[in-house]
Amino acid sequence: MPKKTLPIITRLLKIIPAITIAGLILFPIDGYTTQLHSGSEGIITHQIGHFFFLFSMVTLIFTITSKGLNKQKGWRLIQYAAFFFILWNLCAITTHFFDNQIHAVTIENISLGKIKIIANNDSLMLAWFYYILKLDHLLCVPAMLFLYKGLSNLVEAQRHIVAEKDIS
Amino acid sequence: MILSFIPILTVDVLGSMAMVVIALLSLYKVRLLRTMDPDNTIFHYLMWISTGFMIFSISRSFGHILRQFLILTSNAESWHAISAYTGSINTVSFMLIGLITLFFNHSWNINEKILSSKKKLENTHIELIDLNQTLEQKVIERTERLTSSEHKCRRIFEQSLDTIIVTDSKFEVMEINPAGIELTGFTRDEMMVKKMTLGSFFASPTEWMRISQKIALKEYILNEEAEFLRPNNASLLALITSGIDYGAFGCAKTYHFIIKNVNDKRQMERQMAQADKLAALGELSAGVAHEINNPLGIILGYTQLLLKEEPEHRDDLKIIEKHVKNCQVVVSDLLAFSRKSSISKSTININTVIKDVAAFLSNHTDFRNVGIHLNLLPEVPLNITGNEQEMRQVIMNFVINACHAVNKKGSINISTKTAREQILIIIEDDGKGIEMENLSKIFDPFFTTKPVGRGTGLGLSVGYGIVKQHGGDIAVKSKPDSGTVFTIILPQVMPAQN
Repeated sequence: MPKKTLPIITRLLKIIPAITIAGLILFPIDGYTTQLHSGSEGIITHQIGHFFFLFSMVTLIFTITSKGLNKQKGWRLIQYAAFFFILWNLCAITTHFFDNQIHAVTIENISLGKIKIIANNDSLMLAWFYYILKLDHLLCVPAMLFLYKGLSNLVEAQRHIVAEKDIS
Repeated sequence: MILSFIPILTVDVLGSMAMVVIALLSLYKVRLLRTMDPDNTIFHYLMWISTGFMIFSISRSFGHILRQFLILTSNAESWHAISAYTGSINTVSFMLIGLITLFFNHSWNINEKILSSKKKLENTHIELIDLNQTLEQKVIERTERLTSSEHKCRRIFEQSLDTIIVTDSKFEVMEINPAGIELTGFTRDEMMVKKMTLGSFFASPTEWMRISQKIALKEYILNEEAEFLRPNNASLLALITSGIDYGAFGCAKTYHFIIKNVNDKRQMERQMAQADKLAALGELSAGVAHEINNPLGIILGYTQLLLKEEPEHRDDLKIIEKHVKNCQVVVSDLLAFSRKSSISKSTININTVIKDVAAFLSNHTDFRNVGIHLNLLPEVPLNITGNEQEMRQVIMNFVINACHAVNKKGSINISTKTAREQILIIIEDDGKGIEMENLSKIFDPFFTTKPVGRGTGLGLSVGYGIVKQHGGDIAVKSKPDSGTVFTIILPQVMPAQN
C-alpha cells in the first residue's frame, strides 16, 4: 500500500505546478508586478511549514515500513520519533490556529507565576485545552529522544556489521 | 481564567534546552555512522536530517527561551520585534526537515541502486580476477606448450639426417638445417649472401626447371629423384619431397623441401642389380661352355686324327682345327667369367704383376703411341691370395681395354693404393669415356662397342669374373670425353696373415 501511495504523491507534487500554470492561463486575473503582503501571511506560511513537516513525517513512517527497515530497532525508533513529531505538529498547528489565526484565545501575564487565559465566550474548556497545548515540549522532546535512541541503535548495529566483516 | 504559568515556563525552558542537547547528541551519533561507512547514502541522508533537526531545535529553543526571558522582564515589545525572525527561521527549518525527509525515498532508491551496482561490480571484479587468473594460467600453459613444440620442431630441424630447406616464393633459401649444409657443400652464410636458390644445387638446370614447374603446377612434389652438384663437382642423387605453406598471420608463402641423399643407396642398388645380372649370365655361360667344351674336344680330336690319316684334306682340316681352338679359347674365357674353372692359388705381389704386364705390353705394337705410367705404392709387399696367371690376365685385359679407349694414342696411368685392408688398383685413361647407357653393360659377356671382328666382348667380363673369384670387386667411373677410371678392389693379405 505505501509503495503505491508514494508514487501518487510524487506525481501530484509534479502535477500541481502544471495545474496552477494551466489555471492562470485559462482563468486570467489582474496581475501586479509586486504583490502586497498582508499581516496574516507570516502565520499562514508558518502553518504551511508545520503541515509540510507533518506530511514529511507521515511519509517517513510509510517509507521506513515499505522498505522493511522497521525490522531493525533503530529504524523503528525513528518511526516513533516521526510519530511524535506528527503529534507535535498537530499540537502546534492547533495552538497557532487558536491564538494567531482566529484569535480565539489571548494570554496575559499577570505576574511571574500567573497567566490569564481569555477564551472566546469565556469557554473554560477551550482555555484548559489551550493551556495543555502550550506544553508542546512534552511531545517534541520525546520525539527527539526517539530519534537519538534510534540513531544510537543504528550505530550499534553498524558496529556489529563492521566487527563481523573484520572477523570474516 | 487565571492559571499557573510555572508548568508552561518549566516545560518550555527545560524542553528547549533538552531539544538542543539531544539534537547535538543525535548529530554526534550520525557522524559515528558516517565514519563507519562513509559510502552509505542512507547515513548521508541521516546526517542531513539530523542537521535539519539541530537547526530546528536550536532556532526554536533559542526563540522560546528568549521569548520567556523578554516577556518575564517586561520587554514584550522587543520580543514582538524579534519573534518574526525567529518564527521565520523556525519555519525554514520545518521546510528543510520536510524536504530532506521527502527525499528519503529517493535517497533510499539511489542507495539501493548504488549497492546493487557495487555488488555487481564486485562480482564482476571477482569474475574478472578469476578470468584473468585463468587467462594468465592458460597463457602460461600455451606458452609452455608452444615453447616445447618449438623446441621439438627445432630439434627435428637441427637433428634431422635428411635435408630440410625452407625457401621463399622465388625458391631462395631462407632456412637450411645442418644436414642440408653437409649435403649441398655450401655454408649457410654463402647461401644467404649469394641469395642462392634451390636450383643452384641441381646438376642440370633442365631438371630443376622440370621440378620447379611441377611444384608450381601441383603445389607439391613427392619423391622426385634429381642429381645435385656439390662445389667440388661431386654429384649425388637426391630424393626431393616438397610442399607449399601459405603462412599464417599475414606471412608470405614459403616452400618446404625435404631432401634425402640416396646416392649410396642407388649405387648399391645398381651394383646389386649388376651383380645379379652378371651372376645369372655366369650361370648361363658356365652351362653353355660346359656343353660346348666336350663336343669341341671331340671335334678337335677327330680333326687331328684325320690330319694324320687324310693328308689330301690337310688345308681344310687345319682351318677346322684353328676355329675349334678359337672356340675353345672363348669357352675357356666363358668358364673364367663364370668362375667355374678350378684354379690354384698362392700369395702374389700385385705390384710385380702390374710391372710385368706394363713391361710386356709396352713392347706391343698397339702401345707404340700410348704412355703407360705407373704410380705404385712403394710399401711392399702388396700381397693378395690368388692365381698369378689370372691376375696377370685381368690387368692385361683392362690395360688393353684402356688402349682401345684412347684409340692407341694417349696415356694410361696405373696406380695402387691401400684402404681398410684392401688393395686398390686404379687404371685410368684419358680416352673417349663410356656412354652413360653402356656403363651398366660393360661387364656383360660379348658386349662390345668395337667393330665386328675386333673384339669378342669377353675381356672385361673375364676380368670381372676373375676379380670376383678372388673376393674382390670392380668400380668404374666414366664420363663421355673425360676418360674412364677402373678401380679393381682386392682383399689384401697382411704380413701377419702371410
